[in-house]
Formats: sequence, C-alpha cells, structure tokens
Amino acid sequence: MCSNIKPYVLIIDDEQRFATMLSKRLSLRGYLCEVVYDGESGLAMLPRHPFKAVILDLRLPGLSGEEVLERIKMEQPDLPVIILTGHGNEKERTRCMGLHAHAFLNKPVDLAQLVSLFEEITAGNTSSKP
Amino acid sequence: MMIKNRSTRSFFVPRRWVPRPGMASYFTFGNYRRVWMTLIVSLSITCLVPLSIITVIHQRNVDTAMNVELLLRAERSASNARRTVGNFLQERMDALRFIVNEVGYEKLNHTEQLKNVLRNLKVGFGGISDLGMIHDDGTQVAYVGEFNLMGRNYRNEKWFKECMDKGQYISDVFKGFRGVPHIILSVKSESPKGEVFILRATLDTAKLIETVSSYKSSEYADIFLINLEGFCQTPSFNYGEGDGLHKAGFSVPPPASRTHALEIKDFKGERFIMAYAYINAGETETPFILINLKRDAPMGTVWDTSKTQAIRIFFVSVFVILLIVYLTSTYMINRLFMSDSIKAGTLRAAEHKSQLASIGQLAAGVAHEINNPLAVINEEAGYLMDLIEMDDAPPEKTELSEHIRSILDSVDRCGTITRQLLFFARQFDVKIMNFHPADILSDVLKFYHKEAEYRNIRLTVDVSPRTPVIVSDKGKFQQVFINLINNAFQAMENNGALSIAIGPMEPDFVTITVSDTGCGIPSENLSRIFDPFFTTKGDSEGTGLGLSITYGLMQKLKGKIDVNSKVGKGTTFTLIFPLDMQGDSTS
Repeated sequence: MCSNIKPYVLIIDDEQRFATMLSKRLSLRGYLCEVVYDGESGLAMLPRHPFKAVILDLRLPGLSGEEVLERIKMEQPDLPVIILTGHGNEKERTRCMGLHAHAFLNKPVDLAQLVSLFEEITAGNTSSKP
Repeated sequence: MMIKNRSTRSFFVPRRWVPRPGMASYFTFGNYRRVWMTLIVSLSITCLVPLSIITVIHQRNVDTAMNVELLLRAERSASNARRTVGNFLQERMDALRFIVNEVGYEKLNHTEQLKNVLRNLKVGFGGISDLGMIHDDGTQVAYVGEFNLMGRNYRNEKWFKECMDKGQYISDVFKGFRGVPHIILSVKSESPKGEVFILRATLDTAKLIETVSSYKSSEYADIFLINLEGFCQTPSFNYGEGDGLHKAGFSVPPPASRTHALEIKDFKGERFIMAYAYINAGETETPFILINLKRDAPMGTVWDTSKTQAIRIFFVSVFVILLIVYLTSTYMINRLFMSDSIKAGTLRAAEHKSQLASIGQLAAGVAHEINNPLAVINEEAGYLMDLIEMDDAPPEKTELSEHIRSILDSVDRCGTITRQLLFFARQFDVKIMNFHPADILSDVLKFYHKEAEYRNIRLTVDVSPRTPVIVSDKGKFQQVFINLINNAFQAMENNGALSIAIGPMEPDFVTITVSDTGCGIPSENLSRIFDPFFTTKGDSEGTGLGLSITYGLMQKLKGKIDVNSKVGKGTTFTLIFPLDMQGDSTS
C-alpha cells in the first residue's frame, strides 16, 4: 500500500553523469527526481518543490555539502537528507550525523539500499500522519 | 651486579662514535671524536691555566720572600761582624796610643823597655808579634820581635808616609820583609821636647781570621775581608787565601757608612746574596771591607721545601685534573652518543610512520577520486541492467553505446589515477636523478586540484623560463612539497590562495617559495616549528613531525629551508636546493 506513494527526490551532486544516471534509475522505479550540480541551485529549488528527500554530495563547488545540509535543516528540519559521498571519513560522518543527516553512504552505492531508505522514509511519513 | 659494573665502567672508555649507515643526519654532532677532543682540551685549559698561574705566582712570592729574608740575615751578620772587627782593631790602636802617652818617648827608645811593653801587650790583647819605635827620619831605633829589624829605615814605605801624614795608620794585609801575612798598626806621637816618633805594632792575621770566621752562619756562608782594591784579607772559600794576593771575583762595592745587602753576580756568573760594610776602628779608617756572601737559593731551607711542595702539588693536581677531565668527557660523550642513538632510532621510526601517514592521507584522497568514476560505472551498468530487466523492448543501439562509452571513460579516469599513484609511490625509493622542478610540482599538485576546487583555493605556480634541470633525490623532493602543501591546506580556510614560485635564479642553486594565505604562525613559535613533535594543532590532528621531517629532508637534499610568517596574513617557506646535490657546492 505504502509503496505506491513515491517520494519526490532532489539530487545535488557535481558529478553530472552520476547524478543523471541515478535520477534515471530512480525514475524507472517510479520516483520523481530533480537534479542540480551545486548547492546554491539545490537550495534555490527547495521552497518551490515539495521534496520528500534529498541526496547530497559533500564535495561541491561553491557551498560545501555540509553547509548545504546545515541550510536545509534550518529551513526544513524534517526533510530527510541522505549524504552520498566519494569517500567520507569518520569525522565527516560524525559532523553530518550531528547536523541530523538521515544517512551517510559512500559511493558507489547499491540502489536497493537507497530504495529501502526511501521506503523507510515514506513509511515513517505515512505512519506519522493520521 | 657484575654486568652493571662492567657497563658503567665501559662508559669511561672512548668508543667508536660512528652512527649506523644512513642514521648520521639524525645525530646532534657529525664528528663525536672531535667534540670529545675539543671538550678535553677546553676543560683542561680552563682548569690548568689558573692552576699554573697560581703556582707561578706562589713560586715568585716564595723567591721574593726568600731573597728578602736572605738579604736581611746576611746584612745582620755582616753588621755584627763589622762591629766586632772594628772593635778588635780599635782596641789595639787605643792600646798603642795609651802606651805612647803613658810610657813616653824616653822609655820607648830603649829595647829593654819595649820588651816589657810587648809582653804586657801580648798578655792583654794577643795577636801582636812585634813592636818598633821609629824616628821621624824613618829609622827604627828600638825593636822587639822575632826578626832582626833594628836600624831598618822605613822612610819610603807607604805606611810610614801615611802615618806621618795622618797621625795613625792601619795597613792592609801584606807579606813584606818577613814573608808572612800581617797587618801594621802605627801611631804617631811627639815627646814634650818636640821629638816626633812612631810606635808601630805588627798584628798576626790569625786572631783576625778567627774573629771574622766566628760570624760564619752556615757552611754555605762565606764571610771574609777584602781591601779597597778587592784583594782577600782573610780566607774566602770562594776566592782563595787571605794573604792579600788573591783578588775576590767581584767588583769592589761602593763606599757606604752603613751595612748594605744586595744581589750580585760574580765574574764567573755565579749569583750571590752579598752584604758588605766598610770597617772603621773608632775614628781611624781601615782599608778593610767586610764581605758576607751567601748562595742565592740554598737547598733544604723552609722556603725551598715550600717551593718543592708547591711543585709536587701542582703536578699531582695536573694529573688528577687531566684524569677527571678525560673520564668525564668520555663519559659525557658516551652518554650523549647513546641518547642520540636512541633519539635517532625514535626519529627515524616516527619519520617512517609519518611518511606512511602521509601516504594514507594521499590514499584517502585517491579513494575519493576513484570512487566517483566507480559510482558512475555502477549507475551506468545498473541502468543497463534495469533496461534489460524492466523494459520489454531491447535498448536502442545508440543508447547502449552511449552508456558503454561513459563506462569506458570512467574506467579510463580510474586508470589515470592509479597510474599516477603508482608512479608517485615509486618515488619514495632513494633515487638521485635529473629532473625539472616544475614537472614534479605539477605532479604533486594534481592530487590537490580537486580539493582546491571544492574549497575555492587558488593554486598558482610561477615558473621562470630559465629554471634549470636539477640533480637531486626526486622522492624526497616530492615529499618536501607534499608536506608543505598539506600544511598550507590545513592552515587555510576556504577561498585562500597557494602560490608556488621558482626563482630567482642563482648560478649554483634554485630557490622555490611556497606561500599561503593561511592563519600564519606567531613569531614566538616561528623558531620552534622545525622542532620534532612541535604542533599547535590539537591532539587529534597532526603528529608535529611534518615540518621537522621536511627540515630533515632538506638537509638530506643539502638544501636549506627558511620561514616567514605574519599572523592572519599567511606563511611563506623559502627552499634553496643545490643544482647538483652530489656536487661539492654544499655551502
């Protein structure tokens, strides 16, 4: 029942080919995705679309991933942000989890893992709404 | 216990202070033997110079005190002897005067009367051997004594003339007609009738010699009389018999009313302490000078013993000082060498660890760089699989080839990165070769481009077109720049700038500067940043070895490193590399 409601996902990653392919694969699974290649564009998009989840790279030109995470949490504290980075070290993981990231994943990622995270988020959302 | 004793003892024996191969650069000194010798020489000089000065001063003081004492003693005994000899002669002259006045001209004219007088004189005074009465024409008119001198005329004798002239006369020692040394004492007188005559007595020198000799204070003392011409009047063991024929071997001292003491050198060059006094017999001048000679430095005196003792103490002290200096220096250098060996081992291990850490840091960066293309491959391949599994229609050929090309591009990206890494890893071996500094810098900077891009740090490399090829250890050269660039990246916030400039050119070396716009280093820390384990970062970050290792690497490359920094403005490291590190331009 719940799987019918697919979350609207924002992908922020400067690795253009990766972001595009990820959105394509999620689309094949029924997700609606928006792709941007830097933090500023992502933050600009945020108020205009009812995103249910964000996939965020840490290394970004301009604003860094951590700064973007902080700004998202300031504006929409409940919006789940999944960090997906090339090779995140323990310090970065600790800092991001401290900023209330939903999950911290390293590339390359298993899509099934990502999908299950989304299902978890959707389930959480629906269960919290009466 | 035995082992402990032996090992402690072995610290006092100089060892072969040679570091193990490849470890020399970690040691405080290049040549421990030279340091050891310098230590021994400087410590010895420091201790021995004051000791020698004190000993010399002591010896001189002793000499001075000894001379003063010798002079005083010689003067005292000369003074006493002078008085006695003076009295001896005066008594006899007074006796003659008494006889002349008491007995009178008439009685003295007769030999029989004269005989009585001589007998009384011999009983009363001794030493008088004959007596004569001489008229003013020089003829001896009465005589008593052992020789037949009656009627002899003395008109032309010196003593006769002197006595007639001065009224009294004491001769020096001479042999005269009789051939034995004697002295003539004579007194002139005038009878109530106006006859002028002289009473003359002959004095044996034996009694005089005995009187003078009694003042001899030691066997080394030589006390005797000389006359005004310098001939010995009583025996001197230095200059011969007292017969008036042997001349004393020194200049006649100048006339003086008192006793004097002085240091002299005789004609043979022998040194003496001499006290002298011109002798007067009451009012009568005598031709005698009393001489008291003493050797300069008699052996066995208190002073001499003091000198010998001081010299003995000096040599014992020198031996003890040298021994202690030798043992202490050896012990210190052995200890120093041992602690340096331990320090060198620790430093090398730390350096190795730090090198591994920097490789690890590099590997983390590389993993990130590789994971991005791998993620692309993952998604591309996943998508192709999705197409096959989820779409009923097979994918278009063009779409397929697009995705495969993307996969191949990503593989190529990974390949480039791993090639760079392998090339880089190989450089850690010691390999001295020709290379262009700019090439190495661009290789190193490749690893930092991405991070610089993310953090908006501007990287600039300014290479002079005249930069020459250098001969150096490529791996160490790279390591130096990895360390400095890591340091700069850690010091800078985002939006900084890192600039590397090669130049200006010099004939024998290349200067490279690495400047950042980081937080800078406070001036109080500037002198310590190359010290091992010095860090201002927290406990978790940094080992405090990066710059120390860089310093060590620069030494191994025979280069120099210097730093300038302003807090809040940034830091500039200036590196100077020799054009050929194997050449002799090591200055």
